[in-house]
Amino acid sequence: MNFNINFAILAPEILLTVLAFVIIIIGLLISDKSKNMLGYISAAGLLASLVYVIGNGMTEKASYFYDSLVVDPLSQVFKLIFLIVSLIAVIASIEYFKDNRNQDEYYALILLSTVGMMVVASANDLIALFVGFELASMSTYVLAGFEKKNPASLEAAMKYFIIGSLSSALMLFGMSLIYGITSTTNIPGIIEFFRSAPLMAESSLGVLAMIFLVAGFGFKMALVPFHMWAPDTYEGSPSVVSSLLAAGSKKMGFVAAFKVLVLALVAIRADVQFTFAILAIITMTYGNVVALSQRSIKRMLAYSSIAQAGYIALAFVVTTPMSIAGGVLLALGHALMKGGAFIAVAVVGYMVLSDDKNAKNIDDLENFAGLGKRAPITALGFFVFFLALAGIPPSAGFIGKLLLFYSITVQAISQSSSWLLLVVIIAILNSALSIYYYARVIKYMYVLPPKGEKIKEPTAYVVAILIAVIGTIGIGLYPEPFIIMAKNAAQVVLGV
Amino acid sequence: MAGLISLMILISLAGALITFLAKTREQARTIALITSGISLAITLLIFSRFDSSNPAMQFVESHSWIPSIGVTLKFGLDGIGMPLVLLANIIIPLTVIFAWGETKQANRFYGLILLELTGVMGVFTSLDFFVFYIFWEIVLIPMYFLISIWGGPRKEYAAIKFFIYTHVASLVMLLAIFALYFNALGITGIPSFDMFGLLKSYQVMDGDLIKGVISLKDAVFIGLLFGFIVKMPAVPFHTWLPDAHVEAPTAGSVILAALLLKMGGYGLFRVILPILPYSKSPSIMITLMAIIGVVSILYGTFLALAQRDLKKMVAYSSISHMGYVTLGAAALVPLSVSGAMYQQFSHGLITGILFMSCGVIQHSAGTRIIHELGGIAKYMPKLTFVMLAGFLASLGLPGMSGFIAEFLVLVNSYFTLPTFVILALFGIVFTAGYHLWAMQRAVFGTYNEKLGHIHDGANYEIASMAILVLLVIYFGLNPNPVLNMMTVNAEQLLKYVVLRGVIT
Repeated sequence: MNFNINFAILAPEILLTVLAFVIIIIGLLISDKSKNMLGYISAAGLLASLVYVIGNGMTEKASYFYDSLVVDPLSQVFKLIFLIVSLIAVIASIEYFKDNRNQDEYYALILLSTVGMMVVASANDLIALFVGFELASMSTYVLAGFEKKNPASLEAAMKYFIIGSLSSALMLFGMSLIYGITSTTNIPGIIEFFRSAPLMAESSLGVLAMIFLVAGFGFKMALVPFHMWAPDTYEGSPSVVSSLLAAGSKKMGFVAAFKVLVLALVAIRADVQFTFAILAIITMTYGNVVALSQRSIKRMLAYSSIAQAGYIALAFVVTTPMSIAGGVLLALGHALMKGGAFIAVAVVGYMVLSDDKNAKNIDDLENFAGLGKRAPITALGFFVFFLALAGIPPSAGFIGKLLLFYSITVQAISQSSSWLLLVVIIAILNSALSIYYYARVIKYMYVLPPKGEKIKEPTAYVVAILIAVIGTIGIGLYPEPFIIMAKNAAQVVLGV
Repeated sequence: MAGLISLMILISLAGALITFLAKTREQARTIALITSGISLAITLLIFSRFDSSNPAMQFVESHSWIPSIGVTLKFGLDGIGMPLVLLANIIIPLTVIFAWGETKQANRFYGLILLELTGVMGVFTSLDFFVFYIFWEIVLIPMYFLISIWGGPRKEYAAIKFFIYTHVASLVMLLAIFALYFNALGITGIPSFDMFGLLKSYQVMDGDLIKGVISLKDAVFIGLLFGFIVKMPAVPFHTWLPDAHVEAPTAGSVILAALLLKMGGYGLFRVILPILPYSKSPSIMITLMAIIGVVSILYGTFLALAQRDLKKMVAYSSISHMGYVTLGAAALVPLSVSGAMYQQFSHGLITGILFMSCGVIQHSAGTRIIHELGGIAKYMPKLTFVMLAGFLASLGLPGMSGFIAEFLVLVNSYFTLPTFVILALFGIVFTAGYHLWAMQRAVFGTYNEKLGHIHDGANYEIASMAILVLLVIYFGLNPNPVLNMMTVNAEQLLKYVVLRGVIT
């Protein structure tokens, strides 16, 4: 083992951890009034980490702590996702939690949850994976309930906590079974073991372990039937936290699944793919159909998030480099689109509350009437995010879906398999269906008359929304570097 | 290095975005006019450098975009696309001038008009199917908003009907494009959306979509054809058009009729004709297209005759006139095909005048119902003059561009499709009938005192219509500047038809 390790590549994680504690300490020392600056410090820290991750090359490879953490293109892409989402959420929080006396804890928790997600992205060992998961989850349980006086927020946090603990338990049990079979917690070691002894993987114990892992990750990814917590939690949590949950912490499940499941799938057998196809199709159809009837925009976004998880899960169906790349790219796109959309909901909330202090159901569809006139930048943001979520070019959502559908079609043709083609057709019909509920909101925003005066959109929100808009369209307009990045990540996933 | 075509598209796109951000109405309309003016200037520059005796693509430029799946930003112009780009750049500045008085959300209104320009120019110049499809869809969204925000009483219904109808048709077309793409991918192993490459690969496509029912070749052909004829629109897929036109604001109607419908016709020439000779049963497909063409001509004419609303009448006349495009394309004679292309160009100019006339009358008299009007010539002499010129051009008066187009189509189609031409000839009589009858009832005769005192069209409105009238007359007397290049390309298109022995 080489003890002369270069920790420079882990600088983002180190920086954010230190920053989290520094913020707590500063928070103890300064007055409540000056706590507003903590948001700027956190944003600066996240931005520095983001720049460092991008600047350090997305193709870096390194391994730390007896091979329990690795840095590779896969981990870097997901770190990029987590950092962008946290950055957007923190920038918006500067406005959302302005003058809140608990800001120090809030920002420290966001930073720690980001570190947790980053550890998951880098984890090369089941224990490290679990520790990362728990760090991120614990922090976000508190964040979801951060509006202490709002019962909906508390309910959201409670549900999220109970379901989250259950999923952790399931995951841990699955991991312990795997450890029992393979007597190692190192992920490549596990894969190696299953490759050399495929019979063990197909034994009832191996299948049971997989089922527990799928369930554990499935809760985080909010795949049907493990999705029940998501709409309530996203609806009840503060919008900025929903943004972090839907756009960031959800991807944690995906990166874990990419690391463990795909590798295991490749090692084990092909007909698990069929299970994933069914899971993906049920998830996207359920998400889209239920989203149709929602009048609360946050719930609609939650269900559309479930639907998007279904699309991303298509990546597991054929497990070609192209499909994994599509999944990674859609995860990146979804982080931008969904993160931005929840922030935009926060602006609507701000607008409604400034009309009427005691307003209920602030994210109701009715409040979106004439938003194009009342809050033009927010409405533009929604317009872009919704079209992107529906997969309309040129946007990140379109490119991601395109690669996914494309890769499955190529497989369907090369294997002349009609059920794969059917999967694609159902997915495309789902996309078409989703246009309906997105377009309905767009109609409310631009066609219906406004219900109040034009408002001044707070700068912090505008910055956060614009970052997400530029990212969403930028990837759509110039996708090639991102496709290459995602393909590099896919190669890591497939161990090529 | 960006070429002239992408420069043109980028300028109109940038202009659209700047217009959206404009603070006042004055700024918005000025920027819109300047942008469309610059775009027109570039078009004229391209047009002056264009070699009309060369059927190949000119001003070709190619930028790599998504190499992973073979998408390239490839643009070029030939005798099929050039006249339509010219048409788009004539219509859009004149529409902006015509709508100079728009007050409601002016920045968005003019911005959407420029976005339409971007979209249609992209459609007419893209040589990559993927990019073509993106522009094809981009065109839909501004039109949806133009109808649903600035439209008449039933605007929401009309807008959503327009959107769903044409979007579904585009999706069918998209499926056909992907079928072509994967077919070519299977043969060459290189992902590419290059339009000509994909059309060429159609020749070697085989297999069945559903065994024993429909072959893949037929399915792809019909899918593409469906996408285009719904856009044209041809009977029986025309029902979205009258609704959209009646509810749309005048500027929206002008763009819809003059440019959006032309996208369908463009698709026929660019996509359908090159693959027609290689389809499983070309003669059936030709007959199918000829039937669609003739039925559109006749049915459109008869419905126009029955309309009470002047604008709806004009809308149905569009369907009838676009029928000539389908008929001329189906006849597969070089001059009938170039006549059909010319009909597209000419109808774009003429229909602009007609819809603008309807707009002026609506604005001034407060109604477009023909029997509620009457004798308005007394108070609207300027409008009457340009409107009469437009109506005469529309009914095919010699000396105006419509005559040349329809004459070429009918005379040359007779060689291959005599029965259909004879049927279509009946349409001509009724076409003249409904135009003159409507003029007689609405504009001439004794003045309907119930209208009160009405005023003539504003100068900017009359001016933009007058420019169109002059162009109609110019291209009626001297069609060569655009007809030559069309004929050159039509001959090249039909070489393959003759080689395959589809027609003798």
